[in-house]
Amino acid sequence: MLFALRVAFRYLLANRVQTGLLIGGVALSVIVFVFITALIKGLAIFLTVQTTGQISHVDLEPPRRVAAIQSADDRFAAQPVSTFQRQQILGWQQVVQQSEGLQHVVAVVPEISGNGFLVRGAAVAPIALQGVDPSQIDAIIPISSYIIDGSSDLSSGGLVIGADLADDLGLKAGVPVLLRSDRGVERLIPITGIFRAGLANLDRRVAYLSLATARPLADLPNGVTSIAIRLDDPEKSFQVAEQLQAQLPLKVTAWQEKNRNLEEALEAQNRTGIFIQAFAMVAIMISIASALLLTSVRRRSEIGIMRSFGISRSFVASVFVFQGVIIGFLASLLGAAIGYRLCLFLVERFVAPDGSPLLPIAPTEGGYVLVITLTIAGSALAAILPARAAARLDPVEAIQQ
Amino acid sequence: MRLLEADGLTKSFFNGDLETVVLKGIDLILEPGEMVALQGPSGSGKSTLLNILGLLMQPTDGTLSFMGERVSGLSEKQLSAIRNRHFGFVFQFHNLLPDFTAVENVAFPAAAPAGGISKALRERAKSLLERVDLSDRLDYAANRLSGGQKQRVAVARALMNRPQLVFADEPTGSLDQENGTKVMQLLREINREDKTTFLISTHDPDIAAICDRQINVVDGRIA
Repeated sequence: MLFALRVAFRYLLANRVQTGLLIGGVALSVIVFVFITALIKGLAIFLTVQTTGQISHVDLEPPRRVAAIQSADDRFAAQPVSTFQRQQILGWQQVVQQSEGLQHVVAVVPEISGNGFLVRGAAVAPIALQGVDPSQIDAIIPISSYIIDGSSDLSSGGLVIGADLADDLGLKAGVPVLLRSDRGVERLIPITGIFRAGLANLDRRVAYLSLATARPLADLPNGVTSIAIRLDDPEKSFQVAEQLQAQLPLKVTAWQEKNRNLEEALEAQNRTGIFIQAFAMVAIMISIASALLLTSVRRRSEIGIMRSFGISRSFVASVFVFQGVIIGFLASLLGAAIGYRLCLFLVERFVAPDGSPLLPIAPTEGGYVLVITLTIAGSALAAILPARAAARLDPVEAIQQ
Repeated sequence: MRLLEADGLTKSFFNGDLETVVLKGIDLILEPGEMVALQGPSGSGKSTLLNILGLLMQPTDGTLSFMGERVSGLSEKQLSAIRNRHFGFVFQFHNLLPDFTAVENVAFPAAAPAGGISKALRERAKSLLERVDLSDRLDYAANRLSGGQKQRVAVARALMNRPQLVFADEPTGSLDQENGTKVMQLLREINREDKTTFLISTHDPDIAAICDRQINVVDGRIA
């Protein structure tokens, strides 16, 4: 076998231009494979980080209340059960304590959420109220870093609202505004700060206020409506949710369950990537098979003479398989190296003013081990056809030609 | 013991329904150490006979025995092994491997089954090249050698595995008079010194005259 390897090397070196072109062609397919893989993985990481960076990873809420029709008497006259009473978590302090003790939990934020309106003169805008402890305003979304006017300090009893909402109502920091909650409670509250997070839903809809300010507006003197939990690793959300569900009589939801669209988009993207990778692999196999078939035709008389002096078919076949493996090995290493450098170059070359990369490419996630393994295996497979053709040559015919 | 014995060999080729009978019942015996010329005009079937006797082609009918053992009907693998261990071949066109040196070409038939060119194989190849007067061309690439030199390398390669029988198909056919004579003298010398049997296909009466005996093939039969 070692001699077959040596013969394979000799054949490849004898046609350096063809070998060079072949390695270049295969390497190009490997580069495409690496680039696409790094891009898809990078995009997935980017989208996941973008999503998980702005949301809680596990949510605790009161058990879902099922609307029902209650029978009033024997005549089956029905009357609806009231759903106006707000669901709340009463013993939330204990839940917070329990949640904080779990692994991967970095923040536990009790919240009072509700709806309402901001009224300024004739202008009215619907809002989502988000009552949090002033010290935890940045625990889920780094609101303080998005402040463009005023501050994010909620302790004075003010509101922190998004820039779009402020624009709609012509508000700025320090200006009082009338807040009307969905419980019919009205308060005149000053705007403490205005933020721009870059998310339309947040910038136009959400108004932050302290828990203490939110309680009378939401008519919740003791409880909270939900508890948001942030983890050090968003991928551990199901694990943490499972632990909490086993301990608490609450509705526990991992972030993935609320972001099914993201999961589906990532899966669709992954499937597309697999198709492109498969096409790259087919291109590799076709180029190697065709080049080696050409070689086997060109070396017919040599193969014939080898067979005439009793060299076995398996030896002849192994010479061609080795050529395929050598090409695959060298081209995959070259392609992987160039692909990595290309990804790195694109990430470093195209950057935003704040230094963050404009292209969501993850150079370290190029699937290098996979592409090298697949290329070598694919090259060996591609070489089997020409190897068989060479091994089956009739020596008499080959020599005569 | 007879080295090679053919009994009633026939060979037909088919082109669709059209059958062409090339050999029509050949009986032939080769004794150890003799040098035999296989003569005949073009198309007489001597090359086909040489290929069948050299186990490169299967006869349509008839039997073939080598050193008393019947070899017709053996598998391709078994035939390859016999060719490698006991036979040598010299063709009209040297058919060297152009990307290998003279020494590598000569060592090849032994190196492939052995898994490489060992020191012993290299020494053997070198001594054979010295014998064919090419000691100064050992590491020359085959494609840098002249026609006569290439054919002498081919002779050395045929002798690498110390064959009992060497088949030579028009060994001087592509050479000029001077080189042709040199090659024939070399074959004769090897035949006498090593007692190697030669079966040489030729239509040149001068070459046939050098051999111990002549077999004439005419229209697929031995005349």
